[in-house]
Amino acid sequence: MVEDSTRCLRRIGFSLAPVVLALAGCTAGSGEGLDAGGRPISGPPAGNSDFQEIQDTIFTPICTVCHAGANAPVGLRLDAANSYAMLVNVASVEAPGTLRVNPGNPGASYLVHKIEGTAATGARMPANGPPYLSQAQVDLIRGWIAAGALAAQQPGSVLLVTSSIPGPAETAPSGTNKLMLVFNAAVDPARANVNSLELRDATDQIVPIASAVVPPGRANVVEIALGAPLAAGSFQLAARGSGPAPLADMAGRVLDGDADGAAGGDWLIPFDVAGGTR
Amino acid sequence: MSSRRMFTRCGVVALLLALAGAAQAEPYLAAQMGLKCVQCHVNPTGGGLRSVFGNAYAQTQLAARRIGGDENLWTGQVMKFLSVGGNARANWNYSEVPNQSGANDFAVEEARAYFDFGVIPNRLSVYVDQRFAPGNSTNLEANVRFWLTENTMYVKAGRMYLPFGYRFEDDNAFVRQLSGINMQAPDEGVEFGIEGGAWSAQLAFSNGTAGAPEVDEGKQGVLRAEFVQSAWRAGASAALNHTEGGDRQAVGVFGAYRAGPVVLLGEVDLIDDDTIGDGGRKLLASLAEANWKIAPGHNLKLTHEWFEPDRDVDEDEQTRTSLVYEWAPIQFVQLRAGVRAYDGIPQNDQQNRTQGFLQLHGFF
Ligand code: HEC
Repeated sequence: MVEDSTRCLRRIGFSLAPVVLALAGCTAGSGEGLDAGGRPISGPPAGNSDFQEIQDTIFTPICTVCHAGANAPVGLRLDAANSYAMLVNVASVEAPGTLRVNPGNPGASYLVHKIEGTAATGARMPANGPPYLSQAQVDLIRGWIAAGALAAQQPGSVLLVTSSIPGPAETAPSGTNKLMLVFNAAVDPARANVNSLELRDATDQIVPIASAVVPPGRANVVEIALGAPLAAGSFQLAARGSGPAPLADMAGRVLDGDADGAAGGDWLIPFDVAGGTR
Repeated sequence: MSSRRMFTRCGVVALLLALAGAAQAEPYLAAQMGLKCVQCHVNPTGGGLRSVFGNAYAQTQLAARRIGGDENLWTGQVMKFLSVGGNARANWNYSEVPNQSGANDFAVEEARAYFDFGVIPNRLSVYVDQRFAPGNSTNLEANVRFWLTENTMYVKAGRMYLPFGYRFEDDNAFVRQLSGINMQAPDEGVEFGIEGGAWSAQLAFSNGTAGAPEVDEGKQGVLRAEFVQSAWRAGASAALNHTEGGDRQAVGVFGAYRAGPVVLLGEVDLIDDDTIGDGGRKLLASLAEANWKIAPGHNLKLTHEWFEPDRDVDEDEQTRTSLVYEWAPIQFVQLRAGVRAYDGIPQNDQQNRTQGFLQLHGFF
């Protein structure tokens, strides 16, 4: 009995060897049909703004091996859907007194410290370097920050919402009292106001919006402050491309809310707010 | 096994562990000797400060050569209730990326010190892992460890590295990057552990923020269990990180097999992360490693890793193959030399880079 189980255990042990050897046989992909970030090529190429270039040539191909998903180091996610919102005007975790990206001020941006290797804390990025970023890549990031750290500008003749916090169908943390919209072009600050947006709860009641502004140095963004933290439940935010007070960009192009390629229509973002406890 | 032989065996492991680095344990060394991490580290999940036992035998048993006599044995205990340890790695790194000119630099890879205040000997400790380079002094581990029953059951609370898979020395291994659980990214929480017979098991709950302050109600739970025999070992880990933005699940299996002077190690981790891209992604990473102990103090390590960034996308896989030589000429010193070749999709230069390094590693 004891002998039997010992023999059995030994056999299990022995069978580990071929498994390990099999793992050694896995090979790399050919990259067919993929872009440099390893994602399937689809649709027209994204715009050619500085931030888009940084995303496509640095963040996605180099940084997202680590900085993606729920377990991203120090909570910093650098994938295309999150990088802008997690960097610009967000305090660093390692050096809480410094912003990750301080628009207009590359020298006071923790992101720059980390890629140049002068950060107060931790390793130079990318942490699996060398190689680290080339001078040209560092300069691209420095230049983007110096010019105000604008969000990506997508090509096209219409104004579009490119991302939001919370995103469509996402769940925002409990106590959420701020929302954010990011556009493909600079928004006309005079036309971004409480009348150009509408927030409704699950019972279709209007939830008051305290203010909606284009923050200084971030022309592509509209920040929305609510009068009070949202209660748990479902909500829908509408960015107006129709009605008396539609959003428009600096060239006077009205928001293409229904994304049909022509101005007009409301951009709808349904989202949930989490409860205080689970 | 006689207690004397047991003693010697553990000493050998202790030294090997020590040689591999105080901060970064090397699972193959434990596998080589058929012992558990807790045998020679004060931290039951391995890595960091070594125990008195580990330290003493580290010096008397195994470097290629030993300088000095028994009267000057370093035990790590500088005072009755305080043990200290540390390590420093100085590197010369070289890298080559397609379409770029090569680069090389000298760098302090890391310098760390460990303190263990054993306020109630063998039962209650306060443990600190402090990194002094790169960057300013940073705390990476600070926790209280209480053995509910001596040597078999403990609870640990505070800042710590979570238990998942094998704690390889190389934090840049695909499996370590993917799990997000490595020795650069501690988390805050509580861990329960059992060390019983051939079993070693841990259950931990943490913020799940990889070192960032908690932002939501969601927490991370991690479970790891390993069955250890003298010639082989196998285990599994699972983690669920629940966040407001979605869940991230990880499961993994790992194991090792020893045949004479060669130790084979393997780990496979599968991650299902709702929080990446639209609708989430499934990722997979594996590692296969062979360690050959050529002679006392000499180890040759060949590692092949594989990474699948999205199981729904074809032809996006990456590999990383490393050959590392480790030589311990005298106690407390290790010289390492290695090359790592990455292979990925041709349109991404970074995924096709080659790295080389020479490392002088000192520790105590
Ligand atoms: C091999 C994994 C890895 C890669 C690749 C990587 N990082 Fe990191 N990053 C980390 C870890 C781990 C930390 C936290 C520990 C530290 O700083 O040493 C971190 C921290 C950071 C921080 C500090 C955030 C804060 O709030 O304090 C920034 C900024 C950063 N990384 C940017 C980048 C950029 C930009 C890239 C790509 C050029 C990159 N990282 C690539 C692992 C990685």
